[in-house]
Amino acid sequence: MPTQNPSQSLIELRGVVKVYSTAAGEFNALRGINLQVGTHEFVGIVGKSGAGKSTLLNMITGVDEITSGEVIVNSNGGAVSIHDLDEDSIALWRGKNLGIVYQSFQLLPMLTLVENITLPMDLCGVFKPKESRERAMDLLRLVELEEHANKLPAFISGGQQQRVAIARALANDPPILVADEPTGSLDSITADHIFDVFEHLVTDQGKTIIMVTHDNSLAPRFSRHLTIADGEIVDEVVRAARAGAAPSWPGRGRAGTGERSAAQSKDSVLGLRTSSSAQREVTKRRRTK
Amino acid sequence: MTNGVQRLQTLETPKQGDPSTSSGYRFGLHKQIIMKPRWRKVFHDLIDNKARTLLVVFSIAVGVFSIGVIAGAYEIISNDMSASYAANIPANIELRMADFDEDVLTSIRNDQNIDLAEARRVFSIRVRVPGTQSWTTLDMVAFDDFEANTVNLLVPLEGESVPQKREIVLEQDALNHIQGVQVGQPLEFQLPDGSIKTMPVVGIVQDTATGAGDFLAAPYAYVTLNTLQYLGQADRFNRVYATTASGGDDIFHVREVGAALKDKLEKNGSIVIRTRFSMTHEHPLADTVNAILGILMALGILIVFLSSSLIANTLNALLNQHLRHIGVIKLVGGQRRQVFIMYLTLIMAFGVLALLVAVPLGGQGAYGLALFISSELNFNLLGYRLVPIAFAIQIAVGLLVPLVAGLAPVINGSRITVLRALSGDLAQDENQSSAGHDAESGIRIHWLDWMQIRFTRMLAKRGIHIPRPFVISLRNTFRRKGRLALTLFTLTMGGAIFIAVFNVRTTLHDYIGQIGKYFVADVSIDFDSPYRLREIEQKVLQVDGVERVEGWQFVSGELLDENGEVLENLNIFAPPAESKLIEPILTAGRWVLPDDERKFAVSEATLGYFPDLKPGDYLPIEVNGQKETWQVVGIFKFVDREGMLAYAPYEYVSRMNNLANQAYMFRLVTEQHNRPYQDEKAEELDAFLRTEGYNVHQSEAGSASLDTAVESLDTLVVFLLIMAILTAIVGSMGLTGTMGMNVLERTREIGITRAIGADDRAVMRTVIAEGVVIGMISFALAIILSIPFTYLLSTIVSLAVFETPIDVVFTYLGYAIWLGLVLALSAVASILPARNAARLTIREVLAYE
Repeated sequence: MPTQNPSQSLIELRGVVKVYSTAAGEFNALRGINLQVGTHEFVGIVGKSGAGKSTLLNMITGVDEITSGEVIVNSNGGAVSIHDLDEDSIALWRGKNLGIVYQSFQLLPMLTLVENITLPMDLCGVFKPKESRERAMDLLRLVELEEHANKLPAFISGGQQQRVAIARALANDPPILVADEPTGSLDSITADHIFDVFEHLVTDQGKTIIMVTHDNSLAPRFSRHLTIADGEIVDEVVRAARAGAAPSWPGRGRAGTGERSAAQSKDSVLGLRTSSSAQREVTKRRRTK
Repeated sequence: MTNGVQRLQTLETPKQGDPSTSSGYRFGLHKQIIMKPRWRKVFHDLIDNKARTLLVVFSIAVGVFSIGVIAGAYEIISNDMSASYAANIPANIELRMADFDEDVLTSIRNDQNIDLAEARRVFSIRVRVPGTQSWTTLDMVAFDDFEANTVNLLVPLEGESVPQKREIVLEQDALNHIQGVQVGQPLEFQLPDGSIKTMPVVGIVQDTATGAGDFLAAPYAYVTLNTLQYLGQADRFNRVYATTASGGDDIFHVREVGAALKDKLEKNGSIVIRTRFSMTHEHPLADTVNAILGILMALGILIVFLSSSLIANTLNALLNQHLRHIGVIKLVGGQRRQVFIMYLTLIMAFGVLALLVAVPLGGQGAYGLALFISSELNFNLLGYRLVPIAFAIQIAVGLLVPLVAGLAPVINGSRITVLRALSGDLAQDENQSSAGHDAESGIRIHWLDWMQIRFTRMLAKRGIHIPRPFVISLRNTFRRKGRLALTLFTLTMGGAIFIAVFNVRTTLHDYIGQIGKYFVADVSIDFDSPYRLREIEQKVLQVDGVERVEGWQFVSGELLDENGEVLENLNIFAPPAESKLIEPILTAGRWVLPDDERKFAVSEATLGYFPDLKPGDYLPIEVNGQKETWQVVGIFKFVDREGMLAYAPYEYVSRMNNLANQAYMFRLVTEQHNRPYQDEKAEELDAFLRTEGYNVHQSEAGSASLDTAVESLDTLVVFLLIMAILTAIVGSMGLTGTMGMNVLERTREIGITRAIGADDRAVMRTVIAEGVVIGMISFALAIILSIPFTYLLSTIVSLAVFETPIDVVFTYLGYAIWLGLVLALSAVASILPARNAARLTIREVLAYE
């Protein structure tokens, strides 16, 4: 688990603005977003379609250009203003520091599951080929798809594909995972279990996860959730995080550390729990605007 | 297993059957070899979409094959043609002389500038297989000693190469002319007095040197000197074949030695009728063959060019289809360089596959083409081989062309941002350019769409409603402008060349037709001795169907330079000045008049030696052993073979030859002018005149040699057509590929149109209409482009074949055939993608990514 300076947030957005030029004129997708995300947080970004959730995520991942503002990520011992990097540097940085999961899985259809997971390791050169394969198998084991390792994505279900996408996001052992509507195309039961996987990654793997969803019912399961509307954060709810998943940015309180070990001891190797048993809410609501 | 895990396992059901079945698994090379996933992706990109791979590989292979065939043939021919020619010690100097004896030959051999010299007797004789009616004219060559043959060597092919007394050996070309002839069987020979002699054929030889410069020459046969008497010939020589002691590849030196030898012989009382000079290591037809291969090479390069645009199109589409893959690669850490190298490797793999197919085929094709040309021009190839330079060119073309064609799409693809790649929007920039503004909706739209909307509204106001599916087809056609441009370019070029080849064919035939005006006579009869005009006229008019006759004179001479050195042989034909049997194509001056003395009209080829020549100028020539100066009265177009052609009036030449009112050559007009009738009358006249005791040398249809020339030209046209068809294939492949890609990219859109009520026929109609629109646009462009192409190709071909530019003639045939072809191709190229589109269910197409 990466070490973190408790006085420093993992991700910090400063006055992030994104304006799109369209045939119908200019469109302000994000209007000066300020946000800090600490380590081990499970942040949910909720909002209606077109609110700016995915755009915000794209600013964090660096897949889209920023109009103004700054996104700083403190990982692997250094702070990086990602929009100051050139495209190749962002790609390499992203490959090593960010795992991304999309609603549509985005697996390469011609590669087997294990190859899909090996791909980021191959491209970033973090692991040797043999190690890559072993690690990919471990990750498949983690998402319980080891026996499907040599199948093509088209031959497994949507939920399974999403688990492979999560495994791929973990390939280079990044501290941060970003997920854009990861359960959006799944049925509710499968979605629930994909969510369990994410929760496990926060609690047991120490990952920081930022997830976009339009499903307000998922809000209670995040350690913190932000509501975004018309390019602005209009609501923020912080819950007392589960053990080991406490936010660590300045001014953010932590709660419920005593429960973690008890809950974990009852659960599987993945630490999968039902959402109801995992939550103990302490709500701190503030209007940001 | 824990509860949570169990739940995950039970709730997730694989889409497809038992995982132990092979369908969902890929146990490939990675079981044995650990291949990095990015290379595995490249490998699968190569093998998974077989149709696309085949299209790209075939596109590259067509170019590689064409260029390989032509480059290989060019190299084989340019090497072997000269090598084969030189191997048989070709004479540098050929002297056609009045009869001479061994002493003259000895004096030639004693000339210090001469290395080898042989004397022979060459004469024409008619021959046929016993029991057949059709006579063939052979040039009979009599050797003093076959064993001592040192110049223009004969290569044995079958049977004996050394005939004994009253035996004959045939040159292999004679087999093509005398039907049914075989070694060991006799042939009948008709002597000038009409008597028939019989001799057995004892062997077949090849003579690559004698008559090499004239592919219209009669076939050769060989006998010994002691057979001459049997054939009614004098036991004397009339030809000298000699090689120079040095400088055999310096044509100026050869000419100098030849001129000096001629002077020496003439001073000693010998009569040299004409001379001919050649280099040792250059086949006399090398320039012509190289020019024709040059044209084919130009077309080959064009095919490569066209195939490269096809490759560019396909790779563009491939990159477009792979945008999401590129986005994913970049999303998980892939850098631009890595993406670039991956797709470059894929392109190289396409190239390598194309080379594997095209290089061996190209090698075979090159040898096949070289073999065909060598058999036509009677020289030998040094055997089948790989031509390193052609091999290298093929490798370079196979790898570089796709690389160059694919560079832009690959660079664009590797540069695309993750966001655009994942949203699959590569056409964004293309569509954003030159936007117009729709006043009603207030939205900025592309100017082409804007024009189309305005146009359809304008028509609608006038009550003309274009069917909506057709409007959609039109809009689809222009949607991918880059792709459309490349497709149109390929198809247009293919069409323009196709049409141009037909125009060139017609142009060549038209020119031959015009040349035919120099051969208006239906029957040409040449005698071995002169006859009075009145006498021959009375005789031939007794034959049914003969309407009139003209006696022509002929005098051979030499064109000289200002120093009196021989430049070229000169054939001066002398028809009556008022003759109706010749309609010259004059480019300057006038035709000959009865009163012209030492005045003549010369062919345009004379300009090759005297570029500033104009009517009124004087040319130094040598006729009947006299050096004279004749005035040029006119310059005309003609195909010069075997020396320059000139016309002078019969009235003067007959006096000059001391043959007033007499002639060796007679030109006859018959009732009908078709070739079979001409042949029939030629035979009838020949038989009749021989029975009447005339020394007929030859009687043949007036257009006989012209028809042979047409056959040779048709061979050339066939090659041009093959190249044109190849370009058409490349063009149609381009269209098929484009339509396939267009439909594939619009799968979702097709699904939507079907979801809102379009049936299979409507979908197919839309797609086919789009293909036909592209075809028709390309046809319109091809019509325009075919004009400069026709001029260019006609000029190159006519300069190569006729050594003079000729007037271009256009024919509707090429346009009509191409219109039919392009319509059919467009429809066919669209039907398959349209059928595939129509077959998809709405659910499939809407789920398509």
